[in-house]
Amino acid sequence: MTTLLPRSLRSTLRKAGNLICALGFFGLAVCLAAPADTAGSGARRPNIVIILGDDMGFSDMGSFGSEIRTPNLDALASEGVRFTNFYTHASCSPTRSMLLSGVDTHVNGLGNMDEWTAPNQRQVPGYEGYLNHQVLTLPQLLKGAGYHTYMVGKWHLGKAPELIPAARGFERDFSLLDGAGSYWDMTNFTGAAPQSVFTEDGRYLTALPKDYYATKTYTDKLIGFIDANHGDGKPFFAYVSHQAPHDPYHLPREWRTRHVGAYDKGWDAVRQERLARQIALGIQPPGTALAERMWFVPDPITLAPAAKATLGKKMELYTGMMENMDFHIGRLIDHLKKIGEYDNTLFIVFGDNGAEGNDLFKMIAGSPGSRDFLFAAIKWSQTHLNAWGDPGSYVSYGPMWAQVSMTPFSQYKGWVAEGGIRNALIVSGPTVERPKGSINHGLMHVADIMPTLLEIAGVDYPTSNAGRPVPKLIGRSWRRMLSGQAPAPRGTQDYLAWEIFGNRAVRQGDWKLRWQYKPFGKAAWELFNLAADPAERKDLAAERPDKVRQMVGLWDSYVRTNNVILPSRSTFETLEDQLPPRVPDDPGYPPLIYKRQFVPPTDMLADPKP
Amino acid sequence: MHINDAQMKQAPWWSWLAVITLLTMGALRPALAQTPARFYWDTLSGSNAVPLIFESINGNTNPFDPAHIVTPNADFSATMAIAGYARTFSLFDRSAMAAILLPMGRISGDVTVAGRTFRQSASGFGDPMLEFNINVLGPPAQKNIPDVMRYEPGFSVDLLADLALPIGEYNSKQPLNLGQNRWYGRFGLPVIWQLGPWVPGRRTTLELLPAVWLFGDNNNFVGQTMKTAPMFQLDAHLTRDLTETLWASLDGAWFSGGKATINGVAGKPLNNIGVGLTLGYAINSNLNLTLGYKSTINDNAPDALRMDGFMATLVYGWHPLIEGSRRLKSE
Repeated sequence: MTTLLPRSLRSTLRKAGNLICALGFFGLAVCLAAPADTAGSGARRPNIVIILGDDMGFSDMGSFGSEIRTPNLDALASEGVRFTNFYTHASCSPTRSMLLSGVDTHVNGLGNMDEWTAPNQRQVPGYEGYLNHQVLTLPQLLKGAGYHTYMVGKWHLGKAPELIPAARGFERDFSLLDGAGSYWDMTNFTGAAPQSVFTEDGRYLTALPKDYYATKTYTDKLIGFIDANHGDGKPFFAYVSHQAPHDPYHLPREWRTRHVGAYDKGWDAVRQERLARQIALGIQPPGTALAERMWFVPDPITLAPAAKATLGKKMELYTGMMENMDFHIGRLIDHLKKIGEYDNTLFIVFGDNGAEGNDLFKMIAGSPGSRDFLFAAIKWSQTHLNAWGDPGSYVSYGPMWAQVSMTPFSQYKGWVAEGGIRNALIVSGPTVERPKGSINHGLMHVADIMPTLLEIAGVDYPTSNAGRPVPKLIGRSWRRMLSGQAPAPRGTQDYLAWEIFGNRAVRQGDWKLRWQYKPFGKAAWELFNLAADPAERKDLAAERPDKVRQMVGLWDSYVRTNNVILPSRSTFETLEDQLPPRVPDDPGYPPLIYKRQFVPPTDMLADPKP
Repeated sequence: MHINDAQMKQAPWWSWLAVITLLTMGALRPALAQTPARFYWDTLSGSNAVPLIFESINGNTNPFDPAHIVTPNADFSATMAIAGYARTFSLFDRSAMAAILLPMGRISGDVTVAGRTFRQSASGFGDPMLEFNINVLGPPAQKNIPDVMRYEPGFSVDLLADLALPIGEYNSKQPLNLGQNRWYGRFGLPVIWQLGPWVPGRRTTLELLPAVWLFGDNNNFVGQTMKTAPMFQLDAHLTRDLTETLWASLDGAWFSGGKATINGVAGKPLNNIGVGLTLGYAINSNLNLTLGYKSTINDNAPDALRMDGFMATLVYGWHPLIEGSRRLKSE
């Protein structure tokens, strides 16, 4: 509607709309009805497709150095731009909350994961455990601005009727409301909540479609949504929130055996290969070192073939998950090409947090005799290797392969080390005017996506909603950067900050300040120079107390500004007692297990004397 | 969260798998009886197995004689056991197995020869049999544990050869013997057709064993010469896991040919069908038990093959690698 109005009239109406919004008389509906400038005058506004890979690691796409075959995602990368300094949060729903609200987690309701809300955070606004109603959502605003808004896949931002996708701005949806579950059916993980909850177009499903497989069905549904409204002249916004490759690694049989034995070489070798490719591609600079192998992860060359094969098969399945997801993304892309929408579609692809190295299944069902163990015995006990991927199997690949997925970074999901929060990002399509296939190292954040897309769609972010002020967006629009007018959305003085489960970090320029529970951290501030040490191997806190002080000041500012309440309890509070004592990662130590058989000179061999 | 326990606890399954597979492998070839189901599954090279087969058989044929020559109006009762040793190995990257089997037991009953009926009995050792089996179509040899982990038969075909040595107990004054006083053997093509997933508890197979038995002459069959024509035998089994350690099989067998000629007087060739049921159970990671019953069905005619029997098998299997791992784990 807005594009049909003369520019002068649009401007007038926009001002009027802003005034009304400020006065709060008519609230959001009127505000959204106010026309706004579109991305390009007279140009058709682009469709927007956000593709989220759940727990997809930084290096899991071929275009980011992976051996995993992701031709469709790589094609997007070759036609668009890859970003190497893009940050999400360390776990899923906080990232999703910032993606869809543009507001800090401690304000938008995901100050902590719903599953881990601490006693001192209960009943505190910003810590509701779901995307609260203080915020406006991206689909809400885009819908009001004339976009069709579609969502398929994982939601994990609230299950009550007023919290589901249909209530938060999505016109059509097919959604898993839980954080994870079976890919084959409605089975979930605990005896207390044994069934996954799905919605379709705002109704709670009593059953799943025939031939349901999450990644396939999500894609089918989205294609159906797009086709249903295609031709009405309105652009669409599609949030493709894939469950893949989150564990359990459920996978059609034909996708499980594409790389048999390929990972028997072990995680160290695969990490080294990925890093070499990253350097060759320009993802990482020459000289980049790998993060330490986690001290409790064995050197794979010391493992027996059976252990290598068993653990390697987990990565084979993960690879299958990635490749299957890429296949279905390819189906979506092909369909958009077929209906003539591809060239006018902006794609944004990334993973929601670091790869998953924690053993979620053990957390849930690890105690024999417990309610959840008994539930798992009935529903999740298909442990045979040949059953991996079937309904009832629960495979996750563990910390060793999570480190591979996060090559070259340290640690993984749940932690604010780079391996927990830095992710691969691809942006491709209209509005991207940078050289095709180029790589950008600017500092980016998931909360940037909301202001970026609002600007591209020509939507102004309201200052109030129903008479109440709307939380400020924390991100920076990428619009100028994407068009090549700026190298990055942030300068060296801008900073980013994170807090989840009590772990916290600040990044400013090349510097990063980090506090993590022991033994992943020191329960004290650590300082890293990410330009020289992206793997966070060398803590410079003792050498640079001035820098620590300066960045702690940023942290304090972040806490004050964003309602940060450090949790009184944390999922990681007893981790130090569960893991072996932390020791340095010294390759080749101890020589006892590395030294090979001594072979004497043949001319000195002799038979025993009588 | 860490690998030390949680990840490595995955290991026991493969040792278990390997031995279970070993126990159900083709190490056991009761060549003198119909071959039970799941005896042709290939397994880890270097495995060893000691089979023990017990059978209680009634009918009108000598169960120690694979030609199943019918003695009309006879009624035999036999208790037999077969003990053996088998070892698997890799040959040209294919799974192979060599075995020796020694039948023993006793048989008694009424025998009619040339119109005269005798009450006879025999006991002792039968003809030992050498057996060789090699896979010719299907997955390559399982030379290490990862190969065992990744093994699925799909559609696999083996080549089987048996040769019996005529050194068993034999009394030329009576027709009923444990030894057969002649060379004989067979060539067969054991087929495993995997139907569905290869997951313990859910495995289903269709197994076929078409085989041709070839017999030398017995030049002293109660002072006469007995020639036996080649006999075709087709064993078929539809097997299905009931649990991870319990399985069942519907068995069928068809015997055709094997016409015996004594001093130029020809008998009738076989054309008979038998059916049966087998239950298999893995007692532990070394020991496997099967219990079965089988019976001919088209056996009303006096000269038709009539045979029924109960069979119990125990197979003890081991592999040095797996036994060593178990010793270390139990420390």
